[in-house]
Amino acid sequence: MAGAALTPPAWRQMPERGNTFWLRFMIGVGRGLGWHAGHALLYPITAYFLAFSPRQRRAAREYLGRALDRPARLADLWRLYFTFAATILDRVWLAAGRIAGFEITVHGLEALRRRAEPGPGEPRTGCLLFGAHLGSFEALRAVGDAGCPVDIAVLMHEANAARVKAVFDALGGSRRTTTVIPLGCPDSMLRVREVLERGGLVGLLADRAPAGQRMHLVEFLGSPAPLPTGPHLLAAVLGAPVMLAFGIRTGPRRYAVHFLPFAERIGSGDRAGREAAILASVERYARAVEAMCRAHPYNWFNFYPFWQEAAA
Amino acid sequence: MSIEGFTTAAETVAPASSPNIDLERDLARLIVTALSLETPAEEIEPEAPLFGEGLGLDSIDALELSLAIGKAYGVQLRSDDERNHRIFASLRSLAGHIARHRTP
Repeated sequence: MAGAALTPPAWRQMPERGNTFWLRFMIGVGRGLGWHAGHALLYPITAYFLAFSPRQRRAAREYLGRALDRPARLADLWRLYFTFAATILDRVWLAAGRIAGFEITVHGLEALRRRAEPGPGEPRTGCLLFGAHLGSFEALRAVGDAGCPVDIAVLMHEANAARVKAVFDALGGSRRTTTVIPLGCPDSMLRVREVLERGGLVGLLADRAPAGQRMHLVEFLGSPAPLPTGPHLLAAVLGAPVMLAFGIRTGPRRYAVHFLPFAERIGSGDRAGREAAILASVERYARAVEAMCRAHPYNWFNFYPFWQEAAA
Repeated sequence: MSIEGFTTAAETVAPASSPNIDLERDLARLIVTALSLETPAEEIEPEAPLFGEGLGLDSIDALELSLAIGKAYGVQLRSDDERNHRIFASLRSLAGHIARHRTP
């Protein structure tokens, strides 16, 4: 099918170096001047990006039109860009676990807590957390502070892993360490399994995949878009429960973290019928992310033509 | 820190004294069935890379394979084994690892 033609994904060509620069810039500003000065700087930064990123702007406009169900206005683009910049600034604090001054509400924690602290006789099972490039994944660290002490590991593409690790290192002083598991090593998934065996959580963003990964075209906000099947296959192979996790920015230093039950297990454990179960799971994931996009349209941070390959 | 990383990277898996031909053949069949590969087991080159450009396995395959190896040979592959890159390098290296660690 279209699977093989879906490479290379456009986001890989996006300026990672630029992102790193701005991330470092934000860290410098945030640590040097504090949140309020950093927040004031978000206005010129948003204006700069809005003015000088025509390709991303075009992609954002297409997304917004779909999520809002009307043509996107400049004010919509501004809100989207501003929200994105704000989550990067907030990351300076959230990634270091410094949440004083933040208002973070957590929804669905009970379901998650039952996994980490099962009742007597129940097995302690970890859980995969599927996120998306939606809001702030760092806000999920707040689960620790909400009284759910669990190991959290994050699975990500190697290049990003190095970048994120550099940022974490630059921040330093973190009380809890978030393990970053780089994708692309033979033992990446063994590490995932071991974190789960200890009752930990492994988070990953299931809306993008690097070049060469298997994708499945699903209806998403009105048109088919390619979503990776890998996360769902991983869950099926592990037989691990999956929850969805989104850290939505709802205002200045305000986040709403949502944990949503997704699947006790994907597929039945044998290979027969697994393929169909995985595709069905990708569809359900698309529906859930779509609902989040409609409810929180300015939290979507895929600034590349998400539907491009489908149209080609 | 970096010194540790350096020494572990330089560590090598001692080559098995002689290739375990039977085990290799057995393992090749296990790989093909566990991963539903289309490549016939006899065509898996003992020295060719299993991952990436060779047989083209990925890390999820490695997970499935390790589950199957655990079941079949009682050898648990762990991520904290620093030699994983070498263990997973080829059919021969994997068979060598199993031969050294399997429960008789």
